[in-house]
Parts: sequence; structure tokens; C-alpha cells
Amino acid sequence: MVKDITIGQYFPGKSVLHRMDPRMKIVLTLAFIVIIFLCKNFFSLGVMVVMLAVMVASSKISIKLILRGIKPILFIIIFTAVLNIFYTNKGDIWFEYGFIKITSGGVYTAIFMAVRIICLIIASSLLTYTTSPTMITDGLERLMSPFKFMKNSVHTVAMMMTIALRFIPTLIEEFDKITNAQKARGADLETGGLIQRSKALVPIFIPLFVTSFRRAYELAFAMECRCYKGGEGRTRMRQMKLTKIDFLSVILLTTMCTAVVVLNIKFVHLV
Amino acid sequence: MSIIKAENLSYLYSTGTPFEIAAINDVNIEIEQGELVGIIGHTGSGKSTFAQHLNGLLKPTSGKLYIDGVDVWESKKTVRDVRFKVGLCFQYPEYQLFEETVYKDISFGPKNMGLSEDDIDKRVRMAASFVGLKEEHLSKSPFDLSGGEKRRVAIAGVMAMSPKVLILDEPTSGLDPKGRDTILGMIKEYRQDTGNTVLIVSHSMEDVAKMATKVLVMNSSRVAMYGTVDEIYSRSNEIINMGLDVPQITRVFMRLAECGVDIGRNVYTVEQGKQELSRLLGKA
Repeated sequence: MVKDITIGQYFPGKSVLHRMDPRMKIVLTLAFIVIIFLCKNFFSLGVMVVMLAVMVASSKISIKLILRGIKPILFIIIFTAVLNIFYTNKGDIWFEYGFIKITSGGVYTAIFMAVRIICLIIASSLLTYTTSPTMITDGLERLMSPFKFMKNSVHTVAMMMTIALRFIPTLIEEFDKITNAQKARGADLETGGLIQRSKALVPIFIPLFVTSFRRAYELAFAMECRCYKGGEGRTRMRQMKLTKIDFLSVILLTTMCTAVVVLNIKFVHLV
Repeated sequence: MSIIKAENLSYLYSTGTPFEIAAINDVNIEIEQGELVGIIGHTGSGKSTFAQHLNGLLKPTSGKLYIDGVDVWESKKTVRDVRFKVGLCFQYPEYQLFEETVYKDISFGPKNMGLSEDDIDKRVRMAASFVGLKEEHLSKSPFDLSGGEKRRVAIAGVMAMSPKVLILDEPTSGLDPKGRDTILGMIKEYRQDTGNTVLIVSHSMEDVAKMATKVLVMNSSRVAMYGTVDEIYSRSNEIINMGLDVPQITRVFMRLAECGVDIGRNVYTVEQGKQELSRLLGKA
């Protein structure tokens, strides 16, 4: 199951999306998500789906990987869709049995919602797929620099995030290793009820916490040994610069946004 | 009958991603009951992956594995059985300790086997004595012990399941020479007392030459050689060509032979070196 979680992972590459400025990527991803929520009908949503398809294609990341990112939340998508089918009573009635009523409006809303969630996930995972964790936090730190009046906290928060992101793969690896070690001692993690299964996790989580604390101390030591004392007066190894690609993508997204608004006004109804 | 038999065993990591890589490739091997096999090879040569297959932690992408004549992946039950037949002790096993006391931690394995309280107690005490833990250690918290002691507790935790095959992945890494000798000594004793098969993954050629009855050399995901210590170290040149090391004493004797001294090339422990030298000097 742990292996299925691809969000937050980074796949190195040299595509257009990889080369974009991380600050711009973060802002545009947020804008993309907002625009998706602005969509009111299939036409405007369609525009965004096409846009997303273009983005995926230009990232040169295999479709298989992108689809695997959706797998863990498949349940949520289906759940939302099913709820919408039963709770929306609009349009023609297609099926009726007792209090259950399935209408065309319900089915359309369900499809609409599912597509919207999938788009959200793909868009946000595309950000982490094409941007290394350090670039993301660097970008975030720069974006938050207007909040400098909060003293050092911007830098501290960014540093904490960098470290946290950096250690996700390490923790997963550690988790797998300890799981294997306990399995080798006959720990049974696959059978039993909920209580039994959560009890079986104790031999994994205790060593995991112990190692994490040890690692945190070691890291803090190593940072202090290299004279780390917060963000004041630090310069950057990587200077960020906006390039042609960034400006072009802003223009592209603005155009899409206009298109969505126009389509929303032109076709008021969902279908 | 051989205790371990692998047929065309292959395993691919990260299938379907750009990082796909064969960790072991077409491994064929038979290991007899009671051997002490030293597994050597580079980092990333597939040693640890191979070890993890032996007790059913990894499912081979293709190929078959028989432990004690039983196909490991035949059913769910055979996989679980093999966990107890083959005890695997990972690298840095001290990081898997979790119980309040040493006694409880060692009994984790036997408890999972579903043994009775009496049997568990017997097993724990037997394992503790193999690794030289005293009575007063058993009631301590494993987190209060020294590094070497923790390592021994962890190894005892695997020994307590009395597996037919005991696999130790780099059991001596990160220990001082004294701690290393203690651990190697107790592994040797364990094998002599129980007659079980022991596999040691190691980087140290000296340790392997000193202890092992058979040597398995892995190179770029494949089995490069398998044979007795004599057979393997008589091909020292090939081993060096793989970028692996041979015992220091072997290198000295190889150089001497190259210089024209009439001396045996198959020397791989200091003891043998001494004998060979005194033979030569006695003759002269």
C-alpha cells in the first residue's frame, strides 16, 4: 500500500514543466485548482481537461504513473459520485424504486464531480512530480517573503518543510525495512480484525519512532556543526529567474480562465 | 536432499517505472544441509535481495525456490511456514528491538509460532546462552544495552525460532574487532551445536575464509561462483577482477609466488600461511 502513494514523489526530467520556475508553478497550480472550481458546466470543464492533458503530455511522465497516483483515492471518488447520484433530483427520472430515484441530473453531477476530483489530484501531483522537494520549499519560501515581518518564522517553516519532505522517502524505506524484519520473525500483519491488526503494528512503530528521534538529534547536531543558525543573512545557491516559458504559461492559463468564464455564461446549465 | 534450491530465480525492482532494475537475475543454486555459506559481493550485487527471497519476504518475479523440498510460493501456508524454517536477521538488527525487556523481545518470534509458555521459555534461554547473554540481561530494557549487546539480543530473537536455516546479513558491520569476534564465534558454535545451515552475507573476505565451508560469490545480480573455500580462493584473480577483495594473506602469498618463490597459492588464513612458511623454511 505504501508503494501506491506517489503524490509528493519527484521524477527527475528535463521537460518544459521541469524547467519552469517553481514559484510560478506553485502559483499556477493554485490558480488551476481555483479555475476548476469555477467551472459550472461540461464545456468549461472540458477546456480544463484538455489543458491538463496538454500539461501531462508536456511533462513526459508516463500515463501509468499518473493513473497510479489516483488509485489510493479511488474510493473517495466513487463514494462522492454515488452520493451525488442519490442526492441530486433534477432532470428526467431514469430509474425509480421505493425512495431511490436516479435522475439524469444526478448522474451528470456525479460524473462532473468525479472528473473534477481527478483533475485536482492530477494537477497537484504534477507539481510534485516535476519539481524536486527542495525547489518546492525554496519557491514557497520566496513566495512567502512578504510575510518577513514575522521575523525568522518564514525561513524556519520553509526549513521544517524541506526537512519533512526530505525524510518522507527515508521513513518509508525505514518502515519497509522494519516491517520485513518483524515479518521475518513471524509477525502476522495480514490477518485478523481491526484491533488485532493495529496491535500488530506496535512492533513496527516503536522502532520507527526510536530511529526517527535518533535521526532528528543527529541531524540537528550535524546542522549546528556546520554553523546553521537560522535564515538571517543567508544567501542562495540557486537564484530563481522567470523565463519565457513562465510568461507563456501565464498567458495560456489566463486565456483558459477567460474561456471558462465565457463558457460558463454562455451555457448556464450543467449539460 | 538440498535444503535450499533456487531455479532461474529473478527479481525486478520498481517494475513499470523509469527506475526498473533487476536485483537478481536467473539465479540457480543448491545448498546442502549443514553448510556454513559465506555470501560475498559488491553493494548492489543482489546479496541482500537473494537473502530476502529465501524466507519468502520477496516474491520472485520469475523462477522457483524450494526450501527443504517445498515450493515456497505454493500457497499462503507454505510462505508462512518458510518464515519459521528460515530465520533472517537483517543488517543492523538492533533497530528492530521494541519490547520492554530483552526476554520479551527474544520471545516475540517463538510466540508468533504459537508455542506453549514452557517451550517459549526454553527457546529464549537457549538463544540467550548462544549469544552469551546473562540472566540479569533478560529483565533489562533492550534500549539500555550497548550496541554490541543490542545486536546480540536481536540475533538471539531470530535464533530462538530455531530455524533450519539461519541467514545473517552483515552481522558484524559497525562493531569493533572484539565485538566482531564474539559474534562470529557464537555463530560458529551455534552451527556446531545445532547442525543447522547458516548463511552469512559479508564484506570481509577474512571472516568468510576463516569460517565458511562454502562460498557464494555474487556479481552484477548473478551467481558468479559457488564452491568450497579452496575452490573459490584458488580463483583469486577472477575475484580481484570483479573488484572484490581476497584475504590480505592470500595477496601476500600470490605476490610471493609471482616472484618465483616455490610456494602454495591457496593460502587464505594466517594459520595456513604459517604452516606453508614453516614447510618452506624447513625444506630450505
